[in-house]
Amino acid sequence: MFKELDPLLHSQLRLAVMSILLSVEEADFVYLKEKTEATAGNLSVQIDKLSEAGYIEVEKSFVGKKPRTTCRITPVGRQAFEDYVNALKGYIDM
Amino acid sequence: MEEKRLTEKESLELITQMIHSSKQNMEVGNGNQFLYWGYCTAGLSIALFVLITLTHSFIWTWGWMFLFGVWPLIAYKKRQKPAAVVTYTDKVINQVWRVLGWMFAFTFITSGVIEILLYRQADFIIMLPLSLLYCGLGVSITGIIIQERWMIYSPIVAFVFCIYMLTMLIHDESVTLLWYLYFGLSFVIMMIIPGHILNHKAKQACSKN
Repeated sequence: MFKELDPLLHSQLRLAVMSILLSVEEADFVYLKEKTEATAGNLSVQIDKLSEAGYIEVEKSFVGKKPRTTCRITPVGRQAFEDYVNALKGYIDM
Repeated sequence: MEEKRLTEKESLELITQMIHSSKQNMEVGNGNQFLYWGYCTAGLSIALFVLITLTHSFIWTWGWMFLFGVWPLIAYKKRQKPAAVVTYTDKVINQVWRVLGWMFAFTFITSGVIEILLYRQADFIIMLPLSLLYCGLGVSITGIIIQERWMIYSPIVAFVFCIYMLTMLIHDESVTLLWYLYFGLSFVIMMIIPGHILNHKAKQACSKN
């Protein structure tokens, strides 16, 4: 019996964001936007969804007068990602 | 990038691509910290050497305290322009330098207290060899972490000067002003040159991307 793929991660942009955050300590919104080549609005929506699920932590601050959003993966997100990759392996080995 | 559902194969390809892409940015700007410290320390060494030689006044030895002013300045500059991404490598390197920074401060305070208690005056001369040792260790460990050959081996010069100075002190030989120049030269070799090498490599990596 195959595990169902986590619908929150099985989407191109959210998976890209999670993959980046998995390999770094933290990344800011501009960096994520540049790496994923997403629009600011779409990225913002997807980050909110990941944050609501507890997969990532979002920290909003100011550098001078400019707002800065920093994201980092949580232990819950890391576990979800691991489960997702294991489930993927199951499908591919089929 | 659109929000679309992926096939299993596409998912794995995307994960690999994103992880690879985020690793490419690891070295950008890493050299600046070395350049700030390297230029400040080497410049101060030469300035103090010249001032003491010209004025014959050892009051200028307190000029080393300017280095304590560099610390908050660099921290302020870092806060003004935080890195877009902090990798695990950056975190480990920061922790290494934090420990060495505290070692430096601890040595400064402890040696000052001991000298005042024993000799009723503090010249902090022990800070010269020990600073070379601490900074050399920091540069070498950083070099090992980021796999930069020049950084791993360039502190050897600093270690040689450190051992030379400690040997002189143990044998009660007089401290000469040339020590300041040895100190400055060590920082040129172990911080300024690697700093420029790192920045050059980062620029090359960026232009390729």
